[in-house]
Amino acid sequence: MNKKLLLIIFAALAFSACKKDFLDTKPTNAVPDDQVFSTADNVETVLNGTWSYMFEEFFSYAVPGYKSINLTSDAMGSDVAVISSYGFSAAYGYTEMNDNTKNRVSAYWTILYKVIDNCNNIIARVDNATGDDSKKQRLKGQAYALRANCYLTLASFYQFNKTGAEKAVPIYTTPSGPTSVGKPKATIGEVYKLVIDDLQKALPLLKDYQRSGTQKWKIDASVVNGLLARAYLYNRQWPEAITSAIAARNGYPLMSGDEYNKGFSDISNGEWIWGHAQTPNQSNASYNFHFLDVSTPASYYQSFMADPYFKNFFDSADVRFRLFDWDTLPDQEGFLRYKKFRFRDPGALIGDLVLMRSAEMYLIEAEAYAQNGNTGKAAAALNVLRDARSATHYTGNGSHLVDTILVERRKELWGEGFSLSDIIRTGGTVVRKPFLSYNGQDSIIRVPRGDGSFVEVAGQGHQTLKQPDGTAFTPYSNFYLFAIPITEVQNNPNLNN
Amino acid sequence: MLQRLLLSLLLFGPLAIFAQSRTVTGRIYSAKDNTPLPGATVVVKGTTNGTVSDPNGNFTLQVNDPAATTLVIRFVGLESQEVPVSTTPLNISLKSAGKDIDEVVVVAYGTAKKNSYTGSVATIKSDELVNRQVSNVTKALQGLAAGVQSSASSGQPGSEATIRIRGVGSINASADPLYVVDGVPYGGSLSAINPYDIESISVLKDAASSALYGSRGANGVIIITTKKGKKGGNNIDVRVSQGYSNRAVKDYEKVSTDQYFQMYWEALRNAGLTNGLSPTTAAAQASSNLVRRVGINPYGTAFPQPVGTDGKLVSGAKPLWDDSWNDAMQRTGHRTEADLNISGATDKSRYYIAGGYLDDQGIYLGSGFKRYNVRSNVELDAKKWLKVGLNLSGAHSDQQAPPSEDSRSDNYVNYGRLMSNFYPIYQRDKATGQYILDANGNKIFDFGSYRPSADNPNSNLVATSAIDKHNVIRDDVSARVYGEATIWRGLKFKSSYNADYTNRQSHDYTNPTLGFDAEVGGTVEKATYRTFSWTFNNLLTYEETFNEKHHLSLLAGQEAYKYQTTFMDGQKSGFSLPGLDELSDASLIKDLQGYTDTYTLSSYLGRAEYDYEGKYFLSGSLRRDGSSRFAPNRRWGTFWSVGASWKLTEEKALKNVSWLDLLTLRASYGGQGNDNLGPDSYYNYYPLLEVNSNLGEGGTYRRFLYNPLLKWETNLNFNAGVDFALFNNRFSGTLEFFQRSSKDLLYSKPLAPSLGFGSIAQNIGALKNTGAELTLHGIPVKTKDFSWAIDLNMTRYRNKVTELPQKTIISGTKRLEVGKSIYEFYLRQWAGVDPNTGLPQWYVDKADGSKGITNNYSSASLYGSGSSLPDVYGGITNTFNYKGFSFSFLVAYSLGGKVLDQDYLFLLGTGTSPGRPFATEMLNHWTPDNKNTDVPKLTTINTNWTSVSSRFLYDASYARLKSVNLSYNLPALWMEKAHLHNVMIYLQGENLFTLYKHKGLDPEQSIGGTTYYRYPAIKSLSAGINLSF
Repeated sequence: MNKKLLLIIFAALAFSACKKDFLDTKPTNAVPDDQVFSTADNVETVLNGTWSYMFEEFFSYAVPGYKSINLTSDAMGSDVAVISSYGFSAAYGYTEMNDNTKNRVSAYWTILYKVIDNCNNIIARVDNATGDDSKKQRLKGQAYALRANCYLTLASFYQFNKTGAEKAVPIYTTPSGPTSVGKPKATIGEVYKLVIDDLQKALPLLKDYQRSGTQKWKIDASVVNGLLARAYLYNRQWPEAITSAIAARNGYPLMSGDEYNKGFSDISNGEWIWGHAQTPNQSNASYNFHFLDVSTPASYYQSFMADPYFKNFFDSADVRFRLFDWDTLPDQEGFLRYKKFRFRDPGALIGDLVLMRSAEMYLIEAEAYAQNGNTGKAAAALNVLRDARSATHYTGNGSHLVDTILVERRKELWGEGFSLSDIIRTGGTVVRKPFLSYNGQDSIIRVPRGDGSFVEVAGQGHQTLKQPDGTAFTPYSNFYLFAIPITEVQNNPNLNN
Repeated sequence: MLQRLLLSLLLFGPLAIFAQSRTVTGRIYSAKDNTPLPGATVVVKGTTNGTVSDPNGNFTLQVNDPAATTLVIRFVGLESQEVPVSTTPLNISLKSAGKDIDEVVVVAYGTAKKNSYTGSVATIKSDELVNRQVSNVTKALQGLAAGVQSSASSGQPGSEATIRIRGVGSINASADPLYVVDGVPYGGSLSAINPYDIESISVLKDAASSALYGSRGANGVIIITTKKGKKGGNNIDVRVSQGYSNRAVKDYEKVSTDQYFQMYWEALRNAGLTNGLSPTTAAAQASSNLVRRVGINPYGTAFPQPVGTDGKLVSGAKPLWDDSWNDAMQRTGHRTEADLNISGATDKSRYYIAGGYLDDQGIYLGSGFKRYNVRSNVELDAKKWLKVGLNLSGAHSDQQAPPSEDSRSDNYVNYGRLMSNFYPIYQRDKATGQYILDANGNKIFDFGSYRPSADNPNSNLVATSAIDKHNVIRDDVSARVYGEATIWRGLKFKSSYNADYTNRQSHDYTNPTLGFDAEVGGTVEKATYRTFSWTFNNLLTYEETFNEKHHLSLLAGQEAYKYQTTFMDGQKSGFSLPGLDELSDASLIKDLQGYTDTYTLSSYLGRAEYDYEGKYFLSGSLRRDGSSRFAPNRRWGTFWSVGASWKLTEEKALKNVSWLDLLTLRASYGGQGNDNLGPDSYYNYYPLLEVNSNLGEGGTYRRFLYNPLLKWETNLNFNAGVDFALFNNRFSGTLEFFQRSSKDLLYSKPLAPSLGFGSIAQNIGALKNTGAELTLHGIPVKTKDFSWAIDLNMTRYRNKVTELPQKTIISGTKRLEVGKSIYEFYLRQWAGVDPNTGLPQWYVDKADGSKGITNNYSSASLYGSGSSLPDVYGGITNTFNYKGFSFSFLVAYSLGGKVLDQDYLFLLGTGTSPGRPFATEMLNHWTPDNKNTDVPKLTTINTNWTSVSSRFLYDASYARLKSVNLSYNLPALWMEKAHLHNVMIYLQGENLFTLYKHKGLDPEQSIGGTTYYRYPAIKSLSAGINLSF
């Protein structure tokens, strides 16, 4: 008995005191970074994981990842009349994105810079990894492009680009470490230069890369060209914008009218150049459809209604016109639904997210030609798109052509995130008028129903008609810009240096 | 005998002397109450050969000198006694010396006598705990011990209270005390411990008492000791009680339907005016849009526009229904508790076997807590020199915990609060307001697809609370196995293996047909959280008295600890059929994840205690810990303490002062550590990428920034105190002063988020908690049949940041600044409503340094706005005894400090969320006729008025009648006839009355003064009976 006790005591003493690695514990859901950056295959996981973070991380249900930046952009434009339900109504009322204390403000900043840091890690470390050289090149190119996309988003929403000298946002091109400190704001010109440099570096690195047709979230040369087209357009480099836009859309023909009416939620759409797919077990990003989708019963908030005046931009043969539907449901009677976005699978509540498509490239081409004075080519590019949408041709003499193209962008890209960034980059103005009769009474709409009968409803338009301080919307209003979050202001002593 | 020698030989090498020796065994009792006396010294007269009695009063002494004839038995405060050496077991009872009555308290790795102990310990006895109707032992600590700050922020049955001992010693690292059960750090769930099984709770507050727990003792230690069998045959105790519970304080008051509709009209009209509409158009639009925005017309179809363009209800309009969702979401809870235990002792064994049952139904629908407990504590004297014990406990609990403390829209507490009474609970006829009935004549729940999104469309928790599930099942098993061998005289070796196992499984289910998730066919989530922890320790102790004057006690040992948690979570949606609620029954996998985390600690420890003639006491301890949470070159920390006490009443000059029974002075100083950066923070020193796959491909990304330089947070703790007892112990007390200085604080330092990371774990700065505690006990009245006792404790402390690497650090609603408390609110300052425009205003620092006013919230300046920490807190207990009756009540109080009520903000919207109720305070909103008010004008345009500001900072002071207890012991005469030892019947109340200022919010919120839609405290009343036989 006592011998046993002795044995136990000694064995236990030896066991617990002598095991040297007793204090070396490891996680099971994270990997040491030296292991990750050791091989090209492992580095690829960083690209995947970062992408997944970018799109799938919830900051709140109203901020379902990166794609909700696009929704915010439209909520702050002229054509979406956001109803006062959960989500984007504060952004719509211009009381959110200019307020540096708001969660949405800090969320977008966080998403963009976290992705930038991860890209910086790949760019800095992939060369030293073992593995196939062409793969390393491709990864580096994709990291450059993803980083450029983040800085382009920052450039689009955080500052006007009147002279290029406006102070905008900080630039980081190397990985942050435990002792890193915040950087000062760079000028908007410097940010655009970085975006274009990064994309120019990415292009040759991706020239041989062929992605699978079902993996349109992977960045290839077409995506890089599309991003370049955007960057050049926003930075008013017209000829370059034209070249890049044409290169980007190559291989992505415009969709048919029927396809346009299919809900904008299927990545297999031939016109999509870049998108993010959703599956039942990776579906956080689909949450964006709860705001955009105003016709699927399972959609929670259905808040992105159309401004009734927006309807007037279309002629009735336009395939896009078919998507308008006055709502007669008792709970949202009188709202004008624009049923462009619908869940791909309403049972699983999933829908793929569009990030770039050919139509935008035609519009970039048209706008850049128009800005450059080539009315003919501008009109031609515009009419290719109008043809595809069964809309009447542009036959004007070129006056107001740029304005026409900007309106066409609103019509074609509604809900895809370009409203506010177009207003910011072009010095435009938000236009919101009350939808009332001439004498200030309700505007009564007769809505045809399926059975041939008509229902009369009071049409509902914009609820926010002025800036929150009661002043009218003006070009270059500070209410349009996204604020830098208060946590950055408080914790970055160099921000304004 | 031979084996024991062999053991000694093996461990300590050959001993020189073997002699013919006698073994004396025995047990020492206190003559007063016949309880065993641990720590009494037994010495062979005229020698230094002696020993000390163990926790059960037993002693074994080798007498090697054949000439020895007499033993001297001593215990502080009792008369010493001499008995002849004998080989038959001795039973010795010591009489009181007529002075102080000493108390044995449980401290780190042993016990101590309270009146001479160098450290600071507060104890709570079992009889104070059984007076409480709590499902979680932490909730019973409030108001009972000085220095213990407790806040039961949730009334959800089974939930824990937050405990802080002597201030808040950490900022981001856990500031929770270390819980120790039966001598070993506890890794199980606190809710698994049946308060009825607890013999005593010791709260170790200073370094001398807790430094031996080293790295984990920085924020104090709470030692829970479970019951053991006591002397004398078998005892059976049975206790059964039944009770009822309700909300302790009323919820916020809200406006009526009539008021609401007129107010919402005004909000719409005002927004129209701001949007540039003419007054006539704005008014007409408001009348036209009102019902559409709110979603329903409770005035019936006869009044399609219930509010006219004058903003008044049209004549004749009356709401056809008024359904209180808040009432419908609540009920009177029912509580049943039953306990049974059998305990006793024989010469060589002590045992305690118990079982318990608790059913504590919550006051909100679908909430409750059921627990089944068993415990068996057995100790055997296996050999004369060997004692073994096993404490084994098991608990199974089933908690129904619907969402609360959660910003989800299906938070059961918030749901009823945020639903307006004009949304019907059951479907109503839109014209008459009559209930619509189904084919069987039953009312039909209204799921309100028409409700605006601020008012939970397509849901009805009153209906679905009975179908949906939010269950947490816990299984807890705890084992404490130990063996203690007396190797040679006072030298003992104790080895123990201790394991705590918990398995927590949550099961959340929403049904496929009704409510929030009907559209996706219902959802189910099952998560398992398994933890297994063990502590293995080996201790050598040596105790000896030299020359009858010098008493020495030494301890040295080694300890290893391992804690492993395994998490697994699966979510699915889309049930094939209604009525099924498990993962297998749903069709679509939404999420599936799992991981394991491991935390280890390796330690070496030692302690020395010395006293001279029971007058002067010295203690010192040292511990070295290595923690897996830090890099190999930073992981070892050294923790220590020194302490001294002087028992003045043992000095000749005071020994004969008749009115003074006790006077002890003591002081201690030492350093403890903290490595607990919080849950899920195990590897912060290590550069890691988190796994995050994407669309079927492996993925990783950098989520957290690592810091290889991380190390222990250190807490330097000074304590000085005086204990006294006067007038034959009728009046006694303790006054203590403490200063806890924490440095190298483990802090999640906010970073510029543009770096890609919002924060980094760092050791930064220092803070100090300085305070004083007073505990008083008095018996103002004591007659033959009647007595009245008062126990009072109060604590006052100041929490101050003393060092920071930068001037200030802002984090959420708080700002760290040298000289201020860590819970100093840092908020925009409310500057009232602009009397001309009705818009909210805040103060702003202008460029020239003067203070201005702005109605742009984000440009307003932030200012220090006071701390959430109370000025003073504590409790007062009054106990009255008259013959067999006993009546006692405890008032817990917390005075000073502020709370930022963000729960209330939901009810203070100016109209931005249509349909959401207004608090009655909103009736005082600005209008051109009511310009001097601090409630702005109503408008559907967001004015940021409900954004956090000093406007919503309220005084957090309160006093709460925590418990009331009335009991009656049936006369002994009757007992004998029934062969019972005792029968007691009792009535208990909990939280019956609360004094507080800011109505609507339960005053017990988080220590940091923030709210989070919590389950409010409940008040309850129950009656019970206690039998022993």
